[in-house]
Amino acid sequence: MTADPILSVAGAVGGYGGADILHGIDLTVGRREIVGVIGPNGAGKSTVLKAIFGLIRLRQGSIRFEDQDIAGWPPNRIVRCGIGYVPQVDNVFREMTVQENLEMGAFLRREGLEAALERVYVLFPDLVEKRRKPAGSLSGGQRQMVAFGRALMLDPQLLLLDEPTAGLSPRYCEQIFQIIRDVRAAGVAVLLVEQHAKQALAFSDRAYVLASGRNRAEGSGADLLADREIAQMFLGG
Amino acid sequence: MEWLGLLNYAVFMAIFIGIYAILALGLNIQWGLTGLFNAGIAGFFAVGAYTSAILTGPAVEGRLGGFELPVAVGWIGAMVMAGLIAWPIGKITLRFRSDYLAVATIGVAEIIRLVAKSEDWLTNSARGLNNLPRPFGDLDYLFSQLAYLGLVLFCLALVYLLVEHQFRSPWGRMMRAIRDNETAAASLGKDIAFRRLQAFLFGACLMGLGGALLAHFNRSITPEGIDPMITTFLIWIMLILGGSGNNRGAILGAAVVWIIWSMTEFATDQLPTEMAIQAKYIRAFLIGLMLQLVLRFRPEGLLPEDPTRAGRKTGGGGS
Amino acid sequence: MDLLSFLNFYLVPGIVLGSIYALGAIGITLVFGVLRFAHLAHGDMATMGAFLVLALVAGTGMNPWLALPFAMIATAGIAVGLHWLFYEHLRRRSAILTVIASLGVALMLRAIVQVVWGVDSLTYVGGIVRPESYFGIRIKDREFWTLAATVVLVVALMLFLGYTRWGKAMRAMSDNPDLAQLSGIDTRLTTILTWTIIGLLGAAAGFFLGINTELKSLMGWYMLLPMFAAAILGGVGRVEGAVLGGMIIGIAEECSVIFLPSEYKSALAFAVLLIMLALRPTGLLRGKVL
Repeated sequence: MTADPILSVAGAVGGYGGADILHGIDLTVGRREIVGVIGPNGAGKSTVLKAIFGLIRLRQGSIRFEDQDIAGWPPNRIVRCGIGYVPQVDNVFREMTVQENLEMGAFLRREGLEAALERVYVLFPDLVEKRRKPAGSLSGGQRQMVAFGRALMLDPQLLLLDEPTAGLSPRYCEQIFQIIRDVRAAGVAVLLVEQHAKQALAFSDRAYVLASGRNRAEGSGADLLADREIAQMFLGG
Repeated sequence: MEWLGLLNYAVFMAIFIGIYAILALGLNIQWGLTGLFNAGIAGFFAVGAYTSAILTGPAVEGRLGGFELPVAVGWIGAMVMAGLIAWPIGKITLRFRSDYLAVATIGVAEIIRLVAKSEDWLTNSARGLNNLPRPFGDLDYLFSQLAYLGLVLFCLALVYLLVEHQFRSPWGRMMRAIRDNETAAASLGKDIAFRRLQAFLFGACLMGLGGALLAHFNRSITPEGIDPMITTFLIWIMLILGGSGNNRGAILGAAVVWIIWSMTEFATDQLPTEMAIQAKYIRAFLIGLMLQLVLRFRPEGLLPEDPTRAGRKTGGGGS
Repeated sequence: MDLLSFLNFYLVPGIVLGSIYALGAIGITLVFGVLRFAHLAHGDMATMGAFLVLALVAGTGMNPWLALPFAMIATAGIAVGLHWLFYEHLRRRSAILTVIASLGVALMLRAIVQVVWGVDSLTYVGGIVRPESYFGIRIKDREFWTLAATVVLVVALMLFLGYTRWGKAMRAMSDNPDLAQLSGIDTRLTTILTWTIIGLLGAAAGFFLGINTELKSLMGWYMLLPMFAAAILGGVGRVEGAVLGGMIIGIAEECSVIFLPSEYKSALAFAVLLIMLALRPTGLLRGKVL
């Protein structure tokens, strides 16, 4: 548990349509903390992120962000209060330029667009020369940068990342992890769902292990990595 | 005699309801079971009517036809021809979402209307094809009508049993699965476009039969007799109001909508002649509005598909 | 046939017709792209716009070209109203239901035109217009203004989509609706904006058809097939594709009378539509496929 969490989810129950996927999840994220969520397929990892972002309505439980209960809010209200979300797939506007993608991330921002663009370009210098190119023409890693950049345009306090390294080559994975560290260094807390459990644990400050929609284990990345049972369950021995 | 007039009228109405019920059952296969939007029902209807007319009608100099074949052959021909017209359209558009089928069927209906209106050698243009044989046409008026009604009801019963059987068969279950969740059905490895094509052709054949039944009842078919928008629309409302996916609902819808439609005609006939033209269009407006109201307030129709599944189709299908 | 008569009898009318189709096809492609359904009432909406100009001309005696902007705004209002009344409540259900509803709307709009203005052909201004000759190429004033107005409208739309916040929001929604919502774009307002633009352009297309030919209650319905063919030919969701497709269909239709009976002009659009769907459903400029 975190002393002064920026986000705390308690007793979350919900899913798609009639079927529940989450059966009572608790988790917290502290300020400037990188928190990983791992678990086998179908554990409800991505569903937690969607629930936090208002894409899925919870049947029970609360989601507090800063001092507000945001459970049941629509996504566009959640974006406004300071949470950014990067979906796993289809996370850029393919036919729009890199710069336009970033501008769309700042749709709710009335002023300070230039400064926000500047910050993103400082964070992702590779994007500067591509800014007039359609995002669909970029490589997987660069596209991921665009997706991150778009989500950072409103200066969120918390970034939700759904399997940011899925399908990327190892070289790009390392790059993405570096980006996440940079994002944190800029003062943003990160909650990420990862398929590569080992990497995610090595990289996160703290992590949650989910199974079948419930909390299974929690602890610092290093502790979980050392846990034999966890290792056997998810890390392939 | 008053009661005789009423009886005559009731039989006349019942024949129309029977023919429209067959058309609505055809649409039920396409839309109710498979989720395909055919916006050109009138086109397939017309193809059936003209095909049967050409096969069975009397010979006329300079025009195709005059084969004077038995009426039953004409009806089979009507179904085959409607299916043949539907085949390439379905083949090309059913790979995509039904929006494309809607546009393509509007196009087919339009082309068929043009052919019917302008090809002397085939359809005798605006004058249409006349003097068609009518089964039991030699009897006295009322008996002839009753006999034709019997024939229509016989066809309707056959069609109903056939369609109902298909609905309950594994094929029907598969079609519903495709309709309700395309991605899941695709992952099962079914060839969706091909299945949809089967359903589309099946429905189109029944629409062709409906057209043939009407042509022989009237002993003639003219382009004026088929207002594409009104015919297509009436059948849509019959099905949606009756209950998409429910065959009994389709028949009930045909009866209810046809009776309402005829009543409005009664009502507008009372108007002074200078308003008669406008009245026709007001009726068209009202059926458009009726569709909107049904979609909004009773999307599952009078007889929903299945009490346990009601609302799922309209709620969960498509994208 | 020499070149000059080809230009005068086929190409010039083809370009005029093409620009009318182009404006109509832009509307079709915007609904297809941004709102993701085939809007079958688009033609009848154009008819409504054309007759609203007629109502203004008859009511106030003003020049039809001056009446056009007012009719465009009124039609935009109608388009937004139709969305509110008949389409919006269906958005959480299967998209094809909205297509069915739009066919019902087409019938209703047409019926209103027929009740109010009747079914006979009408014109904005009587009399025969003689074309001006420029180096042997004969263009009527109204043809010239149709082309000029089309260019202005298309350029204005392109600038709007390319360089304004809300224009980009429309493109974003067309590109990736889920991501648009996640980014905080107000998709409800963007939808209303899209209908506004569709109404404006639809009325213009109807008016241009009306002033270059005549006004009929079914004029828009008969335009539906060529407009859809143009949108699919150009690539669904692509404004520049709709313009290209509209021009090709318009010119091809005018030239088709060389080898086809003129009743079958609309068969040509239908053939183009089927051929494109069979061979290249994304269209010439790589559009979407629903």
